[in-house]
Amino acid sequence: MSTNGKQTIVEEGTEFKGILTSTCPIVVRGRIEGEVETPSLSVSEKGSVHGRARVGSIRSLGELSGEFDADTVELAGRVKDNTIIRAKSIEVKLASEDAKMQVMFGDCELAVGDAPEDDASGAKKARSLRPPKREGGSDPSPAAPAT
Amino acid sequence: MAELTRDEVLQRAAAKQSFARADLRGIDLSNATLEGLDFGRAELDGANLSGAKLKGASFRNASLREAFLKDADLREANLDKADLEGANLEGADLGLANLNRATLEGAKLGRATLRGARLTGAQLDSADLGKANLENALLSHAELSECYLGGANLKGAELVNAVLSSANLEEANLEKANLREAELVGASAPKANFFGASLQRANLSQARLPGANLEAADLRHCNLAGAELSGALLTGAKVFGAATASAKWSTPAAEWLDGSPGADGSRPVRGDDVDALLAGKLTSPTRAARYFGKGDVLRDASLEFGEGSSIEIESRFENCSITLGAGTDLVIGEAGVLSHCRIKGGGNITVLGQFFERESPGIQGPKRLVVSSSGALVGTIEQATESTEFAFQPGCRLRVKILTARAATERSGRE
Repeated sequence: MSTNGKQTIVEEGTEFKGILTSTCPIVVRGRIEGEVETPSLSVSEKGSVHGRARVGSIRSLGELSGEFDADTVELAGRVKDNTIIRAKSIEVKLASEDAKMQVMFGDCELAVGDAPEDDASGAKKARSLRPPKREGGSDPSPAAPAT
Repeated sequence: MAELTRDEVLQRAAAKQSFARADLRGIDLSNATLEGLDFGRAELDGANLSGAKLKGASFRNASLREAFLKDADLREANLDKADLEGANLEGADLGLANLNRATLEGAKLGRATLRGARLTGAQLDSADLGKANLENALLSHAELSECYLGGANLKGAELVNAVLSSANLEEANLEKANLREAELVGASAPKANFFGASLQRANLSQARLPGANLEAADLRHCNLAGAELSGALLTGAKVFGAATASAKWSTPAAEWLDGSPGADGSRPVRGDDVDALLAGKLTSPTRAARYFGKGDVLRDASLEFGEGSSIEIESRFENCSITLGAGTDLVIGEAGVLSHCRIKGGGNITVLGQFFERESPGIQGPKRLVVSSSGALVGTIEQATESTEFAFQPGCRLRVKILTARAATERSGRE
């Protein structure tokens, strides 16, 4: 898909609420609350996305919370509580020696790549990710018990 | 000799007829236009196809021994399992061609273009690929012993498990090439460029690499016994587990090296320690090391490792509980599987193999958790009080729940 270098930019100081669908890459320097669909989502250090996103790639240095479905994810910054990230591939780097930690995870779930299976045990350990319990409830979805 | 004349071939070619199984030995088809035609299983030994336009043609299982294909256009041609022993392909364009399992022993491919070509399992022993362009070519499991690759461009090429013993790679460009588990015994690669290449578990024993650029290359677990590396550049190379002690280096060999098991930069080695590490002398006497080898199975065990120890697991652990002291390094090697297991304590965990939890949280309080590109992890990770440092490399497989220490405390309070 050619986007002719065009981008949708949510600039610093801008807060968007609702559904945002774009064929262009979206750059978030402000705040998005709602649903996002785009081939590429880039969140700056001061940017944040809260809600649901279906994207080709995510590169985030800012704050994410909600449900994210992507092909590739490159994460730094913060991932807030009750967040689910599903992706084919993820990259999280350790901080360089003098920098602070690259990514801070809250209570969240990651489903990346094909579900791992322990072939030798003869039992499938992979679990599906259930939506997080938003309020109340007991322990959020643990891994399927091993058999 | 050939059952058809040049004119008969050209007439049939104009009518798009097939030459499958045809006997065309020794025929002169130089500069002919034969694009997209089928020569499957045809006999073309000694044929002259120099300058011929053969784009998209199929030579599957064809015999082209000693054929003359200089400057031929073979882009996207199918040469799967073709026999090209001793053929002359100098300057030919084989971009995106399929040469899987083709025989090219002693073939001349100097200055040929093989960009993105598929050569998986191809036989290229003693072939001449001098100054050939093999950028992003797929050469996994290819046989390249005693091959001449001087000045060749192999940038981004896949050479996993390829055999390059005694090959000549002088001044070749192997930037970001994947040479994982490749055999380079006695290879000669002076001034070759291996920048960012993966040489994990490759065998470079007795190889000659003077003046080679190995900066940012992944040399983990590779064998450099007796290798000649004078003047080689190594800054940023990943050297965990590499057998470097008997290699010959210039000093200083690098400004810094990455000594971390997961090649994540978490254990930089600088200054005098660089040479000590390469000489195999950089091991702390107080650092207790434990190794659990491939093929072993450990069941229903509880293991406790004290502060600062180093553990590498290439075995299968079932239903085991592991407690790590502060600063302990635990590496689950590529062959390692921890099934129905639990790891507790403030150690640094690197997962190159697989981890499946027994009960939640399967991993409790790690200082650092790295899952490499070959790693897989299923389970709940309860972070350390001061937050766990995470690194996930592209290619890793995860089904994980991450909990903060706060959430874990709240949960245990409810229970």
